[in-house]
Amino acid sequence: MGKLAQLGLDIAKLWSKYSGSYFSGMKNTLVLALIGTLIGCLIGFVCGVLNTIPYSKSDHPVKRFVLKLIRVIIRVYVEVFRGTPMVLQAVFLFYGLPYFSDNAMRFSSVWAAAIVVVSINTGAYMAESVRGGIISVDPGQTEGAMAIGMTHVQTMTSVILPQALRNIMPQIGNNFIINVKDTSVMFIIGFPDFFAAHRAAVGASYLYFPSATVEMVGYLSMTLIASFLLRWMEKKMDGSSSYELVQTDQLTMTAGTYRHPDDGTPFDERSLEYVESGKEER
Amino acid sequence: MSEKILQINHLSKSFGSNKVLRDIDFSVYQGDVISIIGASGSGKSTLLRCINLLETPSSGEILYHGRNVLKRGTNPAEYRSHVGMVFQSFNLFNNMTVLENCVVGQVRVLGRDRETARQHAMEYLEKVGMAPYIQARPRQISGGQKQRVAIARAMAMDPEVLLFDEPTSALDPEMVGEVLNVMRRLAGSGMTMLVVTHEMAFARDVSKRVVYMSGGVICEQGSPQELFGNPQKKETVDFLSRFRG
Repeated sequence: MGKLAQLGLDIAKLWSKYSGSYFSGMKNTLVLALIGTLIGCLIGFVCGVLNTIPYSKSDHPVKRFVLKLIRVIIRVYVEVFRGTPMVLQAVFLFYGLPYFSDNAMRFSSVWAAAIVVVSINTGAYMAESVRGGIISVDPGQTEGAMAIGMTHVQTMTSVILPQALRNIMPQIGNNFIINVKDTSVMFIIGFPDFFAAHRAAVGASYLYFPSATVEMVGYLSMTLIASFLLRWMEKKMDGSSSYELVQTDQLTMTAGTYRHPDDGTPFDERSLEYVESGKEER
Repeated sequence: MSEKILQINHLSKSFGSNKVLRDIDFSVYQGDVISIIGASGSGKSTLLRCINLLETPSSGEILYHGRNVLKRGTNPAEYRSHVGMVFQSFNLFNNMTVLENCVVGQVRVLGRDRETARQHAMEYLEKVGMAPYIQARPRQISGGQKQRVAIARAMAMDPEVLLFDEPTSALDPEMVGEVLNVMRRLAGSGMTMLVVTHEMAFARDVSKRVVYMSGGVICEQGSPQELFGNPQKKETVDFLSRFRG
């Protein structure tokens, strides 16, 4: 009990001094995660769409070659950025560019560098998610669209991508939450996120564990609120679960509930055998 | 004689070494209502899908108003907008309401403005009795209702010929009637229709011509009276006897 009270006191001490830097760190973390996820999704959609352009043997060889080349490039991109740690990607980009270009090229701000790294990283994960989302849409949807004369682009934009987006919403949420947490590695290039606020606070106060507790609670609150908002958005996308009837439907024949208007007319669809066998019962 | 819309010459289709269609010759005239019957696996659906270029035929030609649509350089999307199709599994767009389903093709493919498209769609939705449901989403309506919307969606594109791929096979028995009724009325209004079906009563009473397919070839064809009343080939007799029971 005494220890907990001590922890409370330490946190209060930290909070009175560093609450401003904790809050601005949280804000920066959320903004970076949000922008990174959005741009990452955009990259993912472009890759996923390019990856699923259909081609057949009867297509022009140049078209086939270009499409195959695009798939290879995307594959390499996905494997490289999914297969290396984000912290190293940040270092590579932030310090590698000036190293190779003799300081001619460098990121003017850590914000730009951090956004680029998080976006590219998220894009690599999203590329595969979007491909999966597109593949998982019932092929009948594509056939339905083609049958009314839609081109591949029209089919994609009107029918497939909206459904794919709904399908991969949980994945997008996943990526956003991962980004909220994983942007903590951006302290390596001096990005002032929530975790950087912790490093600054403990550097001055030596209250390691109390500050870590603040971080834990802070990260968890951010991710919980994010999950809640994502669920709500998914519900919103599904649309209303009910609909309004404009008037009654004349054609539905619910078996046995009422006489169908076509009963007895030449439009009566029931087979004669059935009608005859049912005659005695009426 | 009315105008010839489609002429199919020596059409064949194989999936790998499996020959599903062999050397099909077949014509469709303006106002024709043709039922294609036959056992499962006889190539009926494949023939229909080839006509709409959802499958690429292995050889042969499909002449649409005398122009071969299988030649390189023809635009399959443009051709398909004249040849409507109704599927066994409805294939309504799940991300749209009933009304949007019938509007989107007119707007994006035919370039109609939204209001004209909406009015046109409503006309057909009323004809199929689905006007009350325009705000519903496909997952909220029954199979028979979905299929009626699918018919309205196809008709709203003003196709020259409408293909039906077993439109009632995925439906509960009590919903078959509502869809067949709509198709009957459509046939009565002079629409050119090609119907793959297992509904023998529909084939007998509504169609002008019945085609019996077996083993990837057209085994026998003729008027319903000829084919049902006096079938010439042994396969046709056997097939029909299974339905008379």
